[in-house]
Amino acid sequence: MNAPVSPLPSTRQDAAEGPIRKVGVIGAGVMGAGIAAHVANAGVPVVLLDIVPGGAAKAVERMLRADPAPFMHKSAARLVQAGDIEGGLPLLADCDWIVEAIVERPDAKRDLYSRLEDVRKPGSIVSSNTSTIPLAALTQGLGEGFARDFLITHFFNPPRYMRLLELVRGPATRADAVEAIAAFGDRRLGKTIVHCKDTPGFIANRIGGLWMQSAINHAVDLRLTVEEADAIMGKPMGVPKTGVFGLLDLVGLDLMPHVAASMKAALPATDPYVTGMREHALIARMIAEGRTGRKGGKGGFYNREKSASGESLKRAVDLWTGDYRDSAKARLDSLEAGGKDLRALAEHKDRGGQYARAVLLDTLGYAASLVPEIADSPADVDAAMRLGYNWRWGPFELVDRLGPGWLAAALREAGRPVPALLEKAGERPFYRVEDGRRQVLGTDGEYRDIPRPESVLLLSDIKLRTQPLARNGSASLWDVGDGVACLEFHSKMNALDPEILGLIGKAVAMGKKGAFRALVVHNEADNFSVGANIGLALFAANIGAWGEIEGMIEGGQKAMRAMRDAPFPVVGAPAGMALGGGCEILLHCDAVQAHAETYIGLVEVGVGLIPGWGGCAAMLRRWSEAPKAPRGPMPPVAKAFEMISTAQVAKSAAEARDLMLLRPTDGITMNRDRLLADAKSRALAMVEGYAPAEAKPLRLPGASGMAALKMAVEGAARLGKATPHDEVVCAHLAETLTGGKRADHTADTTEDQVRALEVKGFMALLKTDATLARVEHMLETGRPLRN
Amino acid sequence: MTDVVIAAYRRSPFHFAAKGELAGVRPDEMAAQVVRALVEATGLDPATVEDLVLGCAFPEGEQGLNMAKLVAFLAGMPEGTAGVTVNRFCGSSMQSVHQAAGAIRMGAGDAFVCAGVESMSRVPMMGFNPMPHPGLAESFPQAYISMGETAENVAQLHQVRRRDQEDFAARSHQKAAAAQEAGRLAEEIVPITGPKGKVVERDGCIRPDTTAEGLAGLKPAFRQDGTVTAGTSSPLTDGASAVLVCSADYAKTHGLEPLAKIKSIAVSGCSPEVMGMGPLHASRKALARAGITARDLDVVELNEAFSSQAIASMRELGLDESKVNLDGGAIALGHPLGASGARITGKAAAVLKREGGRYGLATMCIGGGQGIATVLESVR
Repeated sequence: MNAPVSPLPSTRQDAAEGPIRKVGVIGAGVMGAGIAAHVANAGVPVVLLDIVPGGAAKAVERMLRADPAPFMHKSAARLVQAGDIEGGLPLLADCDWIVEAIVERPDAKRDLYSRLEDVRKPGSIVSSNTSTIPLAALTQGLGEGFARDFLITHFFNPPRYMRLLELVRGPATRADAVEAIAAFGDRRLGKTIVHCKDTPGFIANRIGGLWMQSAINHAVDLRLTVEEADAIMGKPMGVPKTGVFGLLDLVGLDLMPHVAASMKAALPATDPYVTGMREHALIARMIAEGRTGRKGGKGGFYNREKSASGESLKRAVDLWTGDYRDSAKARLDSLEAGGKDLRALAEHKDRGGQYARAVLLDTLGYAASLVPEIADSPADVDAAMRLGYNWRWGPFELVDRLGPGWLAAALREAGRPVPALLEKAGERPFYRVEDGRRQVLGTDGEYRDIPRPESVLLLSDIKLRTQPLARNGSASLWDVGDGVACLEFHSKMNALDPEILGLIGKAVAMGKKGAFRALVVHNEADNFSVGANIGLALFAANIGAWGEIEGMIEGGQKAMRAMRDAPFPVVGAPAGMALGGGCEILLHCDAVQAHAETYIGLVEVGVGLIPGWGGCAAMLRRWSEAPKAPRGPMPPVAKAFEMISTAQVAKSAAEARDLMLLRPTDGITMNRDRLLADAKSRALAMVEGYAPAEAKPLRLPGASGMAALKMAVEGAARLGKATPHDEVVCAHLAETLTGGKRADHTADTTEDQVRALEVKGFMALLKTDATLARVEHMLETGRPLRN
Repeated sequence: MTDVVIAAYRRSPFHFAAKGELAGVRPDEMAAQVVRALVEATGLDPATVEDLVLGCAFPEGEQGLNMAKLVAFLAGMPEGTAGVTVNRFCGSSMQSVHQAAGAIRMGAGDAFVCAGVESMSRVPMMGFNPMPHPGLAESFPQAYISMGETAENVAQLHQVRRRDQEDFAARSHQKAAAAQEAGRLAEEIVPITGPKGKVVERDGCIRPDTTAEGLAGLKPAFRQDGTVTAGTSSPLTDGASAVLVCSADYAKTHGLEPLAKIKSIAVSGCSPEVMGMGPLHASRKALARAGITARDLDVVELNEAFSSQAIASMRELGLDESKVNLDGGAIALGHPLGASGARITGKAAAVLKREGGRYGLATMCIGGGQGIATVLESVR
């Protein structure tokens, strides 16, 4: 299982390895269907059954249309075999793992399990995706054999995108069953496994639920607006920008009473989760009126309404009257003062500060009181909240930001008990770095290394214990062991600037001198790179520094070529967005090991430009050599043109293969934490006998091809699909991709000639007002201007 | 002079390109199955067939080389049968009929299989390598004008309202659906066996529930402020067709019952930007050559490339819509470019015989600015 896992199509073969070769999912609701889709994303065949006749097939249909897509590639849907529970259970006979995701009623689940006992094969594993029911209640009366094969696998919605998988084992559960599911969840499904105790709501929903409850209660008590509450929760506390009310809109208000009821039934009456429960008249009214959030179409705490002039207006609920009013940005002194300093926020006297303090005391105090009841280590709790609720910091990381001593004192001051774990910490932080290793404070008051799963390699760990081989303001070069270096970007949003290009050149020079054997280009930011720093280009254009801009384009081309022609293998290892120049870097790597959630594309036309760092030449090369593409001078040109002119971005690594942005030989890693290790082993495998790819000439159609592309663009313009400036941009793109007027398909056009056309087109476009307007608009709003 | 007759007509089912049931079938294979069925149905000795004349609008890829001769091999025609691939875009397989008619009149053969095929799934419109002459594209861009744009031009120039186009399209579907229901299409259809053994027997483009109201909701397909939609255009289609064209004497000797005789033929150029009016010019010529007028026609097959051009052509020619496309037209049935000419010529002959009329007309517009027409007369 050490081989890099790539979902499509190579994993059909991988699926034959390991103990889980076929999966069954029962219940085709949002969770069950999403889990089945994600198993298919891993290239593993899956049976999906539903209680409603035809429901599973309908769920697959629905998922093929959904956005964000549960499938990483439409072809994955072919791995899902849909059926009905009634009559379809025998389809599960050859499944190695059966996931139950039906209605949250213990009796219904147990009844289903007993029916499963008649069909499932010996040694198969059964798990429940329950979010609140204790394991003990699920296995009751089902016999020892079942209990040995049973555990809880709790996925988060949506299963493809949320990285947390909570596992709960019972006293009887086989160790090898837990190991098999953990390994499959980690390597094939790409999840971070957090082992939980068998307690209600496990980790993330127990703490997350209390946090939401607390955040609503205090917002009402302190008379905050929903915008203010969400702003305080957002950036300062590191919660996604939906905050709490936006999150309720997203998951649906109507879900709240159900969650509260099941937690109330499962927890002791003295638990703060239960004692803090309140019935808010406003929420009851909103549910009664169908204002349950985004999915209902009638709005929730936020709503969009059309004004008289047809403008879309953002509205928000007044927590006192329950009516909508125009949404207003939160303006609080505490937000200003505590933007970066959580303690300053919590100590601020205005209602924002009081709010932050109240919610933090509730949530962090509760979390501290639950270790070791719900998890063995604070690190597990933090991982669950980061990956299950997308918090930037887990509760104990937030405690460290406040200071454990400060929190204990604040709790005491409020007349509340101080959890034993917090007492034990005293003034010591929960996390520290010792001898280059990150450690966490345990319940015994001792620090221990945070364990990493086998063969996980994290750049953030390496950075704690070594110094960079080279470094500037935007990039660093690290030794990641075994003679492999890692080039990391760390500019703002990983925008590519002259410093990064400089370090690429320096890294190649160092490699040539034998400083390392192979290079991996990788970083652990949200996005690999959003592209070139267009702010710099705009600034230079505004002062007419054309020579500097041209120098930057040519410098970029030089850096890309240096990488491609280096006498050692270069492997790109992207995750998140790899756009524009970020994509061009990958196009010049000898191989790419991409995280499954990588979004690659050449998006330059969005800012009125064309790829200038060899992206055009590289795409022509890829399509010219594509074995399945039709022959002749036009197909590669047309394919590259179609993709670049529409700024198409692949919505997964699997989709990037369709667009030739990834080669069939490039790898895909499902678990982001394993990306660097996979890329490193790929690079090492290429070292022996490595020779850089030869630069072969292209055959391009010249003016005839340009005429054909012009016609296509004119057609799009007539339909209103291409704007006037799109036509200008496309003309330059067409000239570049066809090799220019003088190219002829009976003669060679070199990649250098295409690159020269890239520079020419790029510079000509940057001198147009419409392109500059696009660049400015993008920098200001983050969205493309359609001019 | 010997009369030239159409002695038999067959076609494959027509299906949407890319998403239809024939997308996986090679065009040469599809054409061969139709040709083989036509020859078998007539019971003639294939050795007496002079030539296989095959129309195709984008003869490259799987439609490349000299596809006609390859189809002859695939259809089991003897070595002695020749094969020629003909391209007049949408008029290609009507041109096949015309070439055969001319040869028969020249005494250059007695019997010809005139076929047409297009897999718009497997060879894209414009081909795999569209490479227009850059000079002509600059100086006379309408030479390469897109078909949708011409449909808009015709609608504008001839004041064909969007609602009228939609009514016409809905009627086309209703007529085709009625014909399908009554089994009148099955008579002419050769079931096609796909590479995996799946047999396709029925047309796939007809939508019996099409209404003008439903079509009114579609967005313009070619021009933002235009009137032509996907619903009032013929769809991209896969299909093949074939007719047996022979001398009246040959038919008699071989015991064939002709559907109709070919009275006159014509082609004509026109402005490429309104190529949809091509039928007007070609039909006027052919009618004049036949010595009749539009009023004398009992049956008309007018290829429905677009509602707009079909309506404007009917109007300008003075055709009675009740005599046009009795079993539906290309908007409902589909328009596999190279196959449509033989389909409407064979269909016109068959309907003329079925309806007991005297004169029939088959006519169509051709991209790039042309029209083609064939006047048929009943065999009495």
